[in-house]
Amino acid sequence: MSARAGGAQGSGSAPKAAAGARPGGLNGPGAFGEEPTVAGMGLRCHGLTVVYDEGGRAIPALADVGFSVAPGASVALLGATGAGKSTLLQALRGLIEPEAGAVELDGLAATDEGFADRRRQIGLVFQRPELQLFAGSAREDVAFGPRRLGWPADDVAAAVEAALELVGLPPAEFGERHPYALSGGEQRRLALAGVLAMRPRLLLLDEPFVSLDPAARRTLATVLRRLVEGGTTLLLATHDVDAAWGLCDERLVLDEGRLAAAGPWAFGDGGEQALAGHGLEPPFLVELWRRLGRPAGAAPRTYAAAAEALR
Amino acid sequence: MRATITQYVPGHSPLHRLDPRIKVVAVTTLAVALFVRDGYAALAVFGATALAAVLLSGVPARWFWRGLKPLLWLVGLTFVVQVLFAPGEAFFTLGPIHLTWEGLERATFLSVRLIILVVTGALLTLTTPPVALTDALAWLTRPLRRLRVPTEELALMVTIALRFIPTLLMELDTIMRAQRARGAEFARGGLVTRARALVPVLIPLFVVSFRRADDLALAMEARCYRPGLTRTRLHPLAAGAGDWLALALVAAVVAVAMVV
Repeated sequence: MSARAGGAQGSGSAPKAAAGARPGGLNGPGAFGEEPTVAGMGLRCHGLTVVYDEGGRAIPALADVGFSVAPGASVALLGATGAGKSTLLQALRGLIEPEAGAVELDGLAATDEGFADRRRQIGLVFQRPELQLFAGSAREDVAFGPRRLGWPADDVAAAVEAALELVGLPPAEFGERHPYALSGGEQRRLALAGVLAMRPRLLLLDEPFVSLDPAARRTLATVLRRLVEGGTTLLLATHDVDAAWGLCDERLVLDEGRLAAAGPWAFGDGGEQALAGHGLEPPFLVELWRRLGRPAGAAPRTYAAAAEALR
Repeated sequence: MRATITQYVPGHSPLHRLDPRIKVVAVTTLAVALFVRDGYAALAVFGATALAAVLLSGVPARWFWRGLKPLLWLVGLTFVVQVLFAPGEAFFTLGPIHLTWEGLERATFLSVRLIILVVTGALLTLTTPPVALTDALAWLTRPLRRLRVPTEELALMVTIALRFIPTLLMELDTIMRAQRARGAEFARGGLVTRARALVPVLIPLFVVSFRRADDLALAMEARCYRPGLTRTRLHPLAAGAGDWLALALVAAVVAVAMVV
């Protein structure tokens, strides 16, 4: 069975049902195997402050941001455009050097032994990652990361096949296709595969749903849900609250570089205000539940669950 | 990474308000005169003029330094070449190297001249928005249209190129970060390794640029752009009394420099 079949289940279906039949997946050391699990990484940061130098003017991008994400958790990083989400993700990955503050991975500080290895186990998918595809074939593009990690050729090949399979681009069909000959949604998933092939334990995604059509969006959501179920820690930066609600157990709210809220969604308990005050709106299903006069705190996460509850 | 090529610094100084055409003519005149006229007195006049203009512009000194920094190697090279190869009586000899006072003097003179030239040029780009600059160039090159040189189109091309340099630099920065997140390294290895490391950056950059160029061309056509037409302007350039005064001042400076 291919991952594409999984993609067709739609975002509302119960993904757990397909768990046993999942092809490939993310593993610890060694090759991808039958067991699609990965030991998620724990993340903590405190006092993160980033200032951009815009032609001599100091533009604050992040101010004293601190939070923690448990291993295997899925957390949405919400905020309006320009709130600092991309900056935060890049600072967590170490691509931007913060003015102040620090990041801890698996409880290790930057000065500890093993921190650099942990950092390499963070997968960061940039906004519109398809704009970074460059190789002559899907397979070659996905292989770029694993090769840079210095893996043996066999491991690289196995990682590439598994990652393509996982994102719903079966290598037999898509492996030799030119990246620019794929559709927008396929390109997006190919770029994701390029990061997944490096077997990240913590996945940072920057607006993964932007400019995808509904079908591509649904497929991508299914891929992400499987990763979370496999144990990967997920930090999903988006202003798409509906997608985040379907995928993430907790949320962080950023506003003009400051952390405005952290923790569980807490709808029906101030969660709506935590979003509304920062240019965001509650998810459709939460709003629907509120208008139906039902407790927003018990709002379903998926269409399937909503249908079940309303039947 | 920030764009320093289009290094306009917004402001309201008298220099900012000058007609860009006057500025182009003034700076060109000063630059040519600076190289035509030899001698320390003239150099002092041009140096003092540049300094006065820098102060008048209200642009922080670090901006001029920023423009100067990439050219320091040229200043250094000029200095070294002059010191090593100028004729005269040596005051210091080490093997084939003879240092002469004449050489030292000549080197200092040429270096200072180069610095004054760069600062004078920077005054133009720092106080003039790129679009105003290309408008000025389009106006000044109008006579060439009689020779069928498409000056309007060239000016528009330059405007668009300038407009997209910061965009491209930002894109380049993003792509490099993204590939770094995938393990790419750009600052390691020999020349060939480094050049090859740029392939994952340059290919996406080209693809994005061509796509954007296509989109822009279509968007311009959709807004009825047609090459070869004489276009009117919303804000036609108009030189006032102050502009002519500035030009007269520059003429006076050049005249003084020629006689001292």
